[in-house]
Amino acid sequence: MQRIVQVSLNRNPWSIEVDAHARLEVYLSESAAALASDPDRDEILLDLEQAIAEQCKRRLPANATVISMAELAPALEEIGPVNPSSSASATPGSSTAASTPPLQQISQGAWLSGVCLGLARHLRLEVTLVRVIAVVLLFFTGGAALLLYGVLMMLMPFAPLDPQGPEPSSIPAKAREWTELLRAKLATLAR
Amino acid sequence: MITTSQQIAIRKGLLEFAVLKVVGVGSIYAADILRRMQETEFATQEGTLYPLLSKLRRDGLVVYQWQESELGPPRKYYQLTDLGREQLAALDQYWKTIDQTLQQLGRRSGLVTES
Repeated sequence: MQRIVQVSLNRNPWSIEVDAHARLEVYLSESAAALASDPDRDEILLDLEQAIAEQCKRRLPANATVISMAELAPALEEIGPVNPSSSASATPGSSTAASTPPLQQISQGAWLSGVCLGLARHLRLEVTLVRVIAVVLLFFTGGAALLLYGVLMMLMPFAPLDPQGPEPSSIPAKAREWTELLRAKLATLAR
Repeated sequence: MITTSQQIAIRKGLLEFAVLKVVGVGSIYAADILRRMQETEFATQEGTLYPLLSKLRRDGLVVYQWQESELGPPRKYYQLTDLGREQLAALDQYWKTIDQTLQQLGRRSGLVTES
């Protein structure tokens, strides 16, 4: 039997197994990131929580009250990833010449977590240059540059994945997953 | 369903129009909007619909009202505003024009010969 935690979905308490809880937090933080520029982000997130609760409830066997992966995975599958609808949101990658690309971590094509790639896009520099600077900093400052990288990993939002782009390789994919989990944990603590 | 990239682009472009159509029938709850669209070319998901409804509301085309439900928390029921109805009528008209244009473009007699 798995450990069970309490979670609030659209202000209603639910019991959920830990692995499903982790999956849920990842979905919600990805949705929040996708809606970062949407003025109604919080309201949409609550609506999504409500939809998740209803979908899971419908799938729960009679007498069961604890949500597990068996309910959550198909529920999230049906609800689908958040597709921002804000007229202002530009698609990543197809940055228009006029506006500065947002400062985001880019998992696709990253070495570690995509911080350098994101900085390079934001500052319109060659990524190789940014990486060389990062490595030089690492040598000269010892641990400090690593710490800086960690802080940026926590602070920079992740760019939405480009469906036409390559799959992120295993290190950036893991880095993204862990960072999002850690953020979700911190967010729960802060509540 | 056959899905060429052109068809996907058309469906994507018309999704907002389709949602306005569904909401235009009468006050409706988001899950029922999805259900109405499910069997059609415009089948979509909460992850897409919710941000779209939010945008339509910000644009002043739809409004929602809370209604109690026996099955759980109160639900948002969406309906068109006057502006939304106007917009929908304009889109309907535009759609007809586009359809006629496409028919015409495909006809031989419409060819303009340069002299």
